[in-house]
Amino acid sequence: MRGRSFYSLVLSGAAAVWNAVAEQRFPPPEFESGHQLPVTTVPPPRALWQEYADVAVLLVCLGLACYLVYRRRSRRGVWWLSIFSLIYFGFYRKGCICPIGAPQNVALGFFEPAYAVPVVVAVFFIAPLLVALFAGRTFCAAVCPHGALQDLLLIKPVKVPTWLETGLSVIPYIYLGTGVFFAAAGSAFVICRYDPFVPFFRLSGGLTILAVGGGFIFVSMFVGRPYCRFLCPYGALLRLTSLVSKWRVRITPDFCTKCRLCEESCPFGAIRAPVPPPANPMELSPDRRRLGLFLVALPALIAVFALIGNRVAAPAALVHPTVALAERYLDPAKPPPPKVPTPDSLALERADHDPASVLSEAVRIKRRFSRAGWWFGGWVGLVIGVRLISLTARPVRADYEPDRGSCFACGRCFMFCPNERLRLGLISPSELPGAEPSRTDTPLVASVDTGKPKIAL
Amino acid sequence: MSSSAPAGNETGNQPSAPSPLYIAWRTSAIASAVFCAVVALAMLVRDLTSRKEDPLNSHTLAALKQQLLASPNDESLKQKIRELDLQVRHDYFTVLRFKQTGAWLLVIGTAVFLYSARKAGRLRETPPLPGPAPDPAESHLRAAARARNTAGAAMVLLAIASLGLAIPHRSRVPATEAELERLLAGGAGTETNASEPLPTATEAAATWPRFLGPTGNAFATNVSIPDAIDPTNKVGVCWRTSVEVFGYSSPVVSGGRVFLTSGDETNRYVLCYDGNSGELLWKRLVRDLPGSPQKQPEIPAGTGFAAPSPATDGQRVYAIFGNGDLAAFKFDGTLLWGKNMGVPDNPYGHAQSLLVWRDRLIVPMDQSEAAKNRSKLFMLEGATGKVIWEKTRPVPSSWATPIVIEAGGLTQIITLGGSWVISYNAVDGTELWRAECLSGEIAPSPIFAADLVFAISPNDRIIAIRPDGRGDVTKTHLAWSYDENIPDIPSPVSNGTFVFVVSTPGVVTCLDAKTGAKVWDHDFELEVNATPAIARDRIIIAGKKGRVVILQAGAELKELTQFDLGEEIFASPALVADKIYLRTAAALYCIGEARPNAQSTP
Repeated sequence: MRGRSFYSLVLSGAAAVWNAVAEQRFPPPEFESGHQLPVTTVPPPRALWQEYADVAVLLVCLGLACYLVYRRRSRRGVWWLSIFSLIYFGFYRKGCICPIGAPQNVALGFFEPAYAVPVVVAVFFIAPLLVALFAGRTFCAAVCPHGALQDLLLIKPVKVPTWLETGLSVIPYIYLGTGVFFAAAGSAFVICRYDPFVPFFRLSGGLTILAVGGGFIFVSMFVGRPYCRFLCPYGALLRLTSLVSKWRVRITPDFCTKCRLCEESCPFGAIRAPVPPPANPMELSPDRRRLGLFLVALPALIAVFALIGNRVAAPAALVHPTVALAERYLDPAKPPPPKVPTPDSLALERADHDPASVLSEAVRIKRRFSRAGWWFGGWVGLVIGVRLISLTARPVRADYEPDRGSCFACGRCFMFCPNERLRLGLISPSELPGAEPSRTDTPLVASVDTGKPKIAL
Repeated sequence: MSSSAPAGNETGNQPSAPSPLYIAWRTSAIASAVFCAVVALAMLVRDLTSRKEDPLNSHTLAALKQQLLASPNDESLKQKIRELDLQVRHDYFTVLRFKQTGAWLLVIGTAVFLYSARKAGRLRETPPLPGPAPDPAESHLRAAARARNTAGAAMVLLAIASLGLAIPHRSRVPATEAELERLLAGGAGTETNASEPLPTATEAAATWPRFLGPTGNAFATNVSIPDAIDPTNKVGVCWRTSVEVFGYSSPVVSGGRVFLTSGDETNRYVLCYDGNSGELLWKRLVRDLPGSPQKQPEIPAGTGFAAPSPATDGQRVYAIFGNGDLAAFKFDGTLLWGKNMGVPDNPYGHAQSLLVWRDRLIVPMDQSEAAKNRSKLFMLEGATGKVIWEKTRPVPSSWATPIVIEAGGLTQIITLGGSWVISYNAVDGTELWRAECLSGEIAPSPIFAADLVFAISPNDRIIAIRPDGRGDVTKTHLAWSYDENIPDIPSPVSNGTFVFVVSTPGVVTCLDAKTGAKVWDHDFELEVNATPAIARDRIIIAGKKGRVVILQAGAELKELTQFDLGEEIFASPALVADKIYLRTAAALYCIGEARPNAQSTP
């Protein structure tokens, strides 16, 4: 009896899965005509089990990336995993769903009661962040298709000055705020709309976005991961969580001999040289004064940008099609309708029938934008202020180590370290550079480090 | 800078001459780069030149289709369109296939380029050789200072760019609801605004602009009626004038004119009488409007084609008939516009009257069954008949006329239908609140008095609702209800202190408006269809057979006078300027103190 109910369960489960696969939202007519129904959405909607499969692949890849970076310390393994991620999440899934756009879904879920964030999107948003809390930006290392593509394209890296990269590091946060602003106002997912790489994954797109994407591809050949470093909004969140991650990538599996062989190994400018503590504490006085000034100026900065954000909200609201339609409707100089109706001209015609409804909705949306503008502007002020404050800190480092927030955990630097080569048996102990050892308490075999950088003021 | 670890067997010295393998890979990289560039250029050129071949935007095709509209039987033109359409689609999909092939060629070419370039790069890479070490602290300080300057510059640029975007921007969309209301009242986006001002509040008070008066509650505070009325001896009757064709609609009054509608399946009329003399000023036939049905619908005789009462805003009079014909006339009888709103699917015939709000016309069209979603509420521009908004209502046929009230900080349209009392925002038709408290066939209309909406569930109960809620207020905003001697046709009336309901058999009940407690009731044994009206402190109840009873509208039952017109009365009286305009089956009466130039027609 038990066996029979087991088989019934299996058969009914298989039937359910089969039905889920065979489900079509608009089933074709019952006669055969040979006509192939076109796919109307790209990517086409997937059955639920396929979405869960994507989640499973994501989680497996994240786990594998952590294993490859921290246990195996294998650059080759990371590389192959990134190829798989590029093919699966990029060309097969066509770049959607991806964690980069997920903050917008979450923001919309918070501010729009009628919208429920799909479970799959929530997992795509949370999982890499949770992993980053423990293992840093391993998502960027080998799971993100955007990063994988840029990694693959890198041929002749050109070093970007650290000061320039640090100074422009506010841009991803501002872009994140922009995406959340527009999503929370219920108008557009701008991060997805202006993603430069998704058109290449889908092999189609508008001319403008293809040109922008082409520009990113060209730049990626010389500047390592330009999108990741200077624009990626999800990377901004990963950077924040990585700052407090339990484990972090170490260039050396053992101790740093300060041989400097890894100085130029990172094409992404993530490696930081050792910085000794200041010999004279009085040297810190200018930094302390500057810090005090920035701390006092921070509220003012937030207030000023909040005001600017509120002012910018009015033109920003034009992104919403209803507001744009209302503006066109109220334009006394609106042109006559075109001979061939366009979606815009048809929308204007419909507005003529029900202007009160369109205008009333536009007023409501503008008010929502105005409220969101305050928060967005305040966020921008906060980001800039905190960045200025962080630049007054003088870190103390004993070894060469990757910056927690900037390191993509790609593993390129491993093989530059003589201790790594020693671990792999590629050199003998007598071939180690004669640098002064600075032993740590960690064991000789490759392991993870739980130390945190020290900061002195 | 080298991005990959040096090979284990290589020395630190760069080769002096390129090896053949390096040259081969380099050549391969260059060739594939050129290939990609050529393919990309070809795709770009093809894309730019193919834009006019988009089947959705083909001007040639659109022009031919326009020609076909003018000569729909031109077979050669049709064939030309088909051929051109096929050609355009063929070209479009050819270009699409070209682009798809080009995209894959680009992918393959790029992959070859990257592979070749990497291979070539590996053969020429140099191992790392660090130069003299700079002072780390000084380097860090210098870098931090530059980074701060960069961040500061980015901040300033961002602020300037944002202000550059924000300052010149001028939005035409209002910022608040109040500004929007002013804009809409001024006729936003329309080509013509109201050319003449609407009546002032004082002028409006001297009108009876819609069924049951200015507010839909037939209570006139400034109308006095004679103590003695005897039509037989012409006491208290100013004039009587015959009305040729029958109609159940009630008279409306404005600017000294009385408007009626009449009609049957053959002809429908709007009539205008002089309010002082009873003279017929004009009579207009309403027929063959755009969309009018060729075959008139069958409407039960108990309702007829002219059951809905007209409405006026002081400049125009609007009328609707049982076949859906809707017309607007100026006060001199000139037809302004007319159209058909669709033949109502109503088992007893359409009887919901029109009402006006500012310069707009509200047209309720409840019909059919609720599940079919055919019931609608329309808001039209009075001057042009253009639809400003329309709302589909989840109700079946009903015959109650809505009212417009100011409550809860908004202008609300209160409607009855099915089991619902539903309130809509007059500006845009947004539903504000609803209460599920009705049953049966809804004929009595709602009224608003003492800050409460009173609605009758026919033969069931009268309910008082607080109109300041949002959403479903069934459980929260019903103030009281009363369930004895409830009518199925006449609407209630209130002077703010008491609410009077008259049941169809003639039982008059007086209730406390605030609490719903019965004050008194009395059976006058007269069949009543018409809704009573209150003039100051007197309530006028017109019986179906012609007997009119006037009572004290107070806490005590007190009959003041009675008279008999001897003709059937279905319509509700209009009270204006110390006169009662009362329509019977065959005539229009003006009851009040007689004036010298009044006349009567047989």
